[in-house]
Amino acid sequence: MNHFPSTSWGKPRNDALDPYASFPIHQGRPQTNDVFADGVQRTQQPIVTGTSVLGIKFKGGVMMAADNLASYGSLARFKDIVRLHPVGEQTLLGASGDMADFQQVKRLLENLITSEALQDDGHALNPSQIYEYLSNVMYQKRSKFDPFWNAFLVGGLDHDGEPFLSYVDLLGTTYSSPSLATGYGNHLAQPLLRRALERLGPDGYKNLEEDEAKKIIQSAMRVLFYRDARALNKFQIATVTKRGVEVSEPMEAPTEWGFAEGLRGYGNSDETY
Amino acid sequence: MTSQGAKLSNYTGAPQQRSFNPYSDNGGTILAISSENFAIVAADTRQSEGYSIQTRYAKKCYQLTDEVVMAVVGFQADGTALAKRVKQRLEWYYHTHSEVPSLASIARMVQTMLYGKRFFPYYAHVILGGIDRDGTGAVYSFDPVGSYERESCRAAGAAQSLVQPFLDNMVYSKNQTADPSVAPLPKGERPVLPMETVLSLVIDAFTGATERHIEVGDGLQIWTIVKGEGAKLRELPLKRD
Amino acid sequence: MSIMELNGGSCVAMVGKGCVAIACDLRLGNQALTIACNHEKVFAATERTYYGLPGLASDTITVRDKLRQRVNLYAMKEERTIEPETFAHLVSSTLYERRFGPYFIEPVIAGINVKDEPFIAAMDLIGCLNFAKDFVVSGTASEKLFGMAESLWEPDLEAEDLFETISQTLLNAVDRDAYSGWGAVVWVIEKDKVTKRWLKARMD
Repeated sequence: MNHFPSTSWGKPRNDALDPYASFPIHQGRPQTNDVFADGVQRTQQPIVTGTSVLGIKFKGGVMMAADNLASYGSLARFKDIVRLHPVGEQTLLGASGDMADFQQVKRLLENLITSEALQDDGHALNPSQIYEYLSNVMYQKRSKFDPFWNAFLVGGLDHDGEPFLSYVDLLGTTYSSPSLATGYGNHLAQPLLRRALERLGPDGYKNLEEDEAKKIIQSAMRVLFYRDARALNKFQIATVTKRGVEVSEPMEAPTEWGFAEGLRGYGNSDETY
Repeated sequence: MTSQGAKLSNYTGAPQQRSFNPYSDNGGTILAISSENFAIVAADTRQSEGYSIQTRYAKKCYQLTDEVVMAVVGFQADGTALAKRVKQRLEWYYHTHSEVPSLASIARMVQTMLYGKRFFPYYAHVILGGIDRDGTGAVYSFDPVGSYERESCRAAGAAQSLVQPFLDNMVYSKNQTADPSVAPLPKGERPVLPMETVLSLVIDAFTGATERHIEVGDGLQIWTIVKGEGAKLRELPLKRD
Repeated sequence: MSIMELNGGSCVAMVGKGCVAIACDLRLGNQALTIACNHEKVFAATERTYYGLPGLASDTITVRDKLRQRVNLYAMKEERTIEPETFAHLVSSTLYERRFGPYFIEPVIAGINVKDEPFIAAMDLIGCLNFAKDFVVSGTASEKLFGMAESLWEPDLEAEDLFETISQTLLNAVDRDAYSGWGAVVWVIEKDKVTKRWLKARMD
């Protein structure tokens, strides 16, 4: 029985043409010479960048946070960039790295969602499917030496109603964990998120309420603002729950600078040297 | 940048250096041992990059057929891409032939797939474990560009150099003088060890590697593949420090 | 080319119950070419303190002679034999003297002190001490030695069992190291006797 009918249904398999029955193993496409190959530019380094994205699972959903800054090197260039992006009804994409590449990825995913909707078969892509697509795109791009210079978090509620949270970056590296963070967040915030979850025992996120998760995320964002020079104290928190995807308005975390009063170098203007 | 206004005085015609490095090393260790009628494939579940633990629960073992399990370490993205492609090829094979290929055939297929990327290799060390066509347990190990060999035991990955000598000693009985009451193993014959012995060897190997290698730890997945009984997964904790 | 791997060679020391053992391979190489297989790297400092100096072969000889001089000076000045603990610090400071132009050796030390307690130590090439309670390893096969020792060693081994443990550790480790092997020597030090054994090893 041949389950790939398009070329041979109704005909006996032809031993002369395919002696080892290797069909449907595809033939490699012939090499094409692109005359413009030398003119094509690849992303060799990120230009306008977003810093960390944080993500954590909690009882009945997933929460993500990212600040609103897009930096141009050390210049705080754009201060109202939204880096948490809903994809379809049940999925959230958080982006760090090159913001131009992020916009391109948004368009790709928009096309994916559109073509799925046009099928009109009542099926919508769930987070794990969108993540699979995105991670394949990321791996293909790295294999062409033309990467999307990003680290993404994908979160959402999966088809079985379970919280979903995964990571993919410019190398196509993928992994999943109850809490995740990209960039500096991986060094500064991820230990805080892990501590919060490990206190709640194995599968601790199932005992974490949404408001508790929000407190943890906010304090982690504050730590990032204190110590990550590319972070901004203006950030958004997004959740995916049964209510759907909700991206908050920009907010601030309360900060404490009183300790700086007597410290040289913390910018007290009437300081004498 | 080389259009119009750009200065071409520095242009040498030599290829530009590309700063993008498409590879990474995600640590971890895998190991497989075979015996008379079973094989064991094991891997730790830590995934790391540099000094950062990316996740404490990453699978490195893939069940390919009822009686074959594949383990991969190295660069995670290449490892999963390879595993995915191997699974796809097996799916195609099944749908054209209504049967699954033998372990030896899968091993040869993996070698062609690895060598197919000889000039942009999968940075992945592969070990296959399972039941061979003759009903014996078997292990096949590969280097990243497809050199492969059937063996009785093999360790690969971050702690290979810690684990492999231990396996030589305990599985191949290297440097152990034979018990005079037992007939010596004929040359070329494979060692026959009972399941309990092999399981405790695997656990000892991984607890030892966890103690002395920072990229090994968190959890241990052990696949046991027994002739006629199929494959079974068991999970144990390892130290998370 | 790493100077630490020019000549090859490895050492290991282990603690047992009222005894210690120290062992080394016998290879001397010039990178991949084996020059000799009678190159012992373990020497006696006192009657019951021994040390191994794997690394650059010329420095093995130099440091061995330097240490012999310093141990003799210590014996004359103090009118007693040096304790293994003290000897470890002596080796350490001898190496740190050359902090910015080091001897390319990584010593391991094993001995029994005046209270008949076993003692082992190891250090890096500039004398950073490591007082382990179980075992210490050094040389080109150190990773393999760690893997073997970590899975074979257990507390309170009697002298004969300790000999078997350290022998298996060393042999199986050096068999997986291209730069070590070609024979091995094991010393077992007990409070009233010292045993030196040559092991039959793979010669390839």
